[in-house]
Amino acid sequence: MKSKILGWMVLCFFLFLPAAAGAAEKFPAKAIELVVPFAAGGSTDVLARLVAKYAPKYFEKPLVVVNKPGGGGITGTEGVVRSKPDGYTLYVGYGSGHDLVTPHFQKMPYATFHDLLPVCRLSVHSIVMIIRSNAPYKTLKEFIDWGRTKEQVTASVSTKAGSVDIVFQAVGKATGLKMVTVPFRGGAESVTAIIGGQTDCGGNHPSEIISHIKAGRLVPIAVALEARDPALPDVPTFRELGYNVVAVGSVKGVAAPKGTPPEVIGYLTERFKKVCEDPEFIKSMKDIGQPVMYQGPQEFGKYLKDGFEDYGKLIKEFNIKLE
Amino acid sequence: MGKFKHPGPGFFPFGLAVILAFLALALILQSRRKEEVPAPFWPERTWRRPLLGAAVFLLYAFSLGYLGFILTTFLFLVVWMWGVERIRWLTIITISIGVTAVLYFIFEYFLEVPLPTGFWS
Amino acid sequence: MSEIWAMFQGLGSGFGIAFSLNNLTFAFIGAVLGTVVGILPGLGPAATISLLLPLSFKIGSPVTSIIMMAGIFYGAMYGGSTTSILVNIPGEAASVVTCIDGYQMALKGRAGPALGMSAIGSFIAGTIGVIGLTFVAPPLAEFALQFGPPEYFALTLLGLVMATLLGEGSAVKGLIMVVLGLLLGSVGLDPISGAIRFTWGLHMLQEGIDFVTLAMGMFGVGEIFYNLEKALKTELVTRKITHLWPTLKDWADSKWAVIRGSFIGFFIGILPGGGAVISSLVSYAVEKKVSKHPEEFGKGAIQGVAGPESANNSAASASFIPLLTLGIPGNAAIAMIFAALLIQGVQPGPFLITEKPDIFWGVVASMYIGNVMLLILNLPMVGLWVQLLRVPYAILAPIIVLFCCVGVYSIRNTVFDIYVMGIFGVIGYILRKVKLEPGPMILAFVLGPIMERAIRQALLISAGSPLIFFTRPISGTLMGGLILFFVLQAFFTLRNRKKVPGQ
Repeated sequence: MKSKILGWMVLCFFLFLPAAAGAAEKFPAKAIELVVPFAAGGSTDVLARLVAKYAPKYFEKPLVVVNKPGGGGITGTEGVVRSKPDGYTLYVGYGSGHDLVTPHFQKMPYATFHDLLPVCRLSVHSIVMIIRSNAPYKTLKEFIDWGRTKEQVTASVSTKAGSVDIVFQAVGKATGLKMVTVPFRGGAESVTAIIGGQTDCGGNHPSEIISHIKAGRLVPIAVALEARDPALPDVPTFRELGYNVVAVGSVKGVAAPKGTPPEVIGYLTERFKKVCEDPEFIKSMKDIGQPVMYQGPQEFGKYLKDGFEDYGKLIKEFNIKLE
Repeated sequence: MGKFKHPGPGFFPFGLAVILAFLALALILQSRRKEEVPAPFWPERTWRRPLLGAAVFLLYAFSLGYLGFILTTFLFLVVWMWGVERIRWLTIITISIGVTAVLYFIFEYFLEVPLPTGFWS
Repeated sequence: MSEIWAMFQGLGSGFGIAFSLNNLTFAFIGAVLGTVVGILPGLGPAATISLLLPLSFKIGSPVTSIIMMAGIFYGAMYGGSTTSILVNIPGEAASVVTCIDGYQMALKGRAGPALGMSAIGSFIAGTIGVIGLTFVAPPLAEFALQFGPPEYFALTLLGLVMATLLGEGSAVKGLIMVVLGLLLGSVGLDPISGAIRFTWGLHMLQEGIDFVTLAMGMFGVGEIFYNLEKALKTELVTRKITHLWPTLKDWADSKWAVIRGSFIGFFIGILPGGGAVISSLVSYAVEKKVSKHPEEFGKGAIQGVAGPESANNSAASASFIPLLTLGIPGNAAIAMIFAALLIQGVQPGPFLITEKPDIFWGVVASMYIGNVMLLILNLPMVGLWVQLLRVPYAILAPIIVLFCCVGVYSIRNTVFDIYVMGIFGVIGYILRKVKLEPGPMILAFVLGPIMERAIRQALLISAGSPLIFFTRPISGTLMGGLILFFVLQAFFTLRNRKKVPGQ
């Protein structure tokens, strides 16, 4: 009798064994979702799709881009924060305006640095000041001189209270000009405005203006970054020109929800790194003005926190307010 | 609300409200002049069927979360055709099944829209 | 002269490319997909194109993928008018105007001619649009760049004024609807200051109300509730289908409407943002004004369908111009195509025509082919659609309601939207009872946010001075035209009042 029970127990044990082993399947067992909290067609979206395009070379399962725009980026990001931390839902765009700038002004429905784990940095979209090529001023200095004679100067920016807006308000204060930022609906609209001469200058990311610079319509006169942007190596930084407006721009990285297992993060980091080292990927990114700037999770995490604080300092130093 | 120099969020809606008030006044004055014979709003209690339709609709929206798409849609069609329109039973059943199936296939498979599953999931 | 010859050469090579079996197949697939998407409520061309973006890499060639996407874009335009005419539900904002006379024609048994004329008019307009694209694109695109916030304000104001003229009722009623529509449009996050308006704390309303929800509710569900009042088993629509095809008379009546609409659509459609909607409005207003029988408008005048439909189709062609010549996407669907090109390594912009002429011309040629395909696709389907109308309304009604529900649900996957649609259905019903037209309201809803953004941006630029609307050449002309229009209207109204004694 006892041996019979023992026999059954052993049998059951063996039956359950493959099931238990199956439960701990290798990651990834299915497609991974890359959530872009912005509308399709924007610079972050294009970045995610490019990554997804080259991913099959290095990932066993496909990466699928999903757009969840709304709330300036907060809606989609919150979705990732609340998703299952199993590594199948990732947020692309970690380090954007709503991560580094907005928390300084309003309460967020989640904790940007606590509820998200940095996976890696993909690129940095710096903030470049551009003017029309047929404007009566050619350099930052000339612009400032010209601006001093006017009641106000206008700058087209992509979103109200976004990273570009804040930086330009800082530029205004730093240069002593009365700078009025005019918000538009996203980078594409704001670029159209400055090309058409609707405003005196504009603030955009290199990817939004690179084709227009090449066409000779726009001239970049300064970039708000620590060092020169590799996408526009001939453009001086604000700091070089004597104005201490430095920010990290809009950082684009990958994040996973808090609680994602470290092995999963490790896998993701390693594979994304491979994509970032792929020469075709690098070339494609360069062509669209988004330089590949990979950083692993630890450095990326630190970079973000520093960037966040830099924005804080900028806001404080130049007393920037949201009207 | 902001000043003209710097229009705030309340600028537009407030202006609109003011315009609306004027227009409402104009409408009242206009209708005074016409002196029509006021026609009854709902001759012979015709409000019944629209109300019924609205009620079935509400029930549908409410039940979607609980019973899932397939069941609720099927029931909706049945209830509507029976209660609101009074159609023969055979027609009701065939159409209800057919339409539910078609809708399901178009939206769930072809367009990959996740439809509510209620307690079936 | 050599430039024009170069254009022809380019176009020729483009046709060569477009006629490859691969490209033809994908153009066809795009056209079919687009038509289906245009008919189904909820999913729009922009969303569909974004779903297919990953597929575009697999296709490999950028020309082929953009050909397919352009097909989807156009197909959706054609499809959207189908639902407007048949069941009074606009597929997208540009089709709202078609609902007005199109549906009336359907009720009178003339759905066939309406659909047919709409398809033919769209085809002619699309062709004119492509021709325009070929020859006039670059200078026109430059002109479009001159349009800044003050111009957009003037333009949308113009559109709104046209919208008030849409209804049959008095101007005051039209204005009330417009103002209501504007108020509805301001629900949600204010784009300029970030403040949240009119949401009563409901998180779901933060992004504002979606057009589809409003349209399905007010037009679709509202109409059905209203029709429920009629006694059971009465046929609401004269099932006596008179003709399946437009008659020669229809042709004669509409030909100028089509031509006018095509040009109106082309020039207004170039402007990024809202071009198709405004052009359909302007076309309708123009047709009504030049018509010898303006009283027929709103009751089933075929020009009221032919004109706006042509306008929104040539506007669709024209919206490619800023993309292909300047590298600036004009609306959501084009932005998707823009992204697809970027990912494939193609930079849309001024250099596209010189660096990658095969893409540029291949696309232009395929747009023409796409139009032909859509015409071939849609005309036979007219018979099919008309048969659909034969189904007893009693059965059709709940099916329509269901389509609306599922369509609305597919936007955000939340039942909340279905409730919102239901509320608008009730509102639509009440409005019809009080004889207030929902058309101007929904158009104001679409144009309102654009107008508000424009006026606030303009005032920021001008440091608060309203003079900016008048001192800039383009907006000054538009505003001047508007004022002139009002003055003339007032003059004529007063004159008419004096003429008829005792009123």
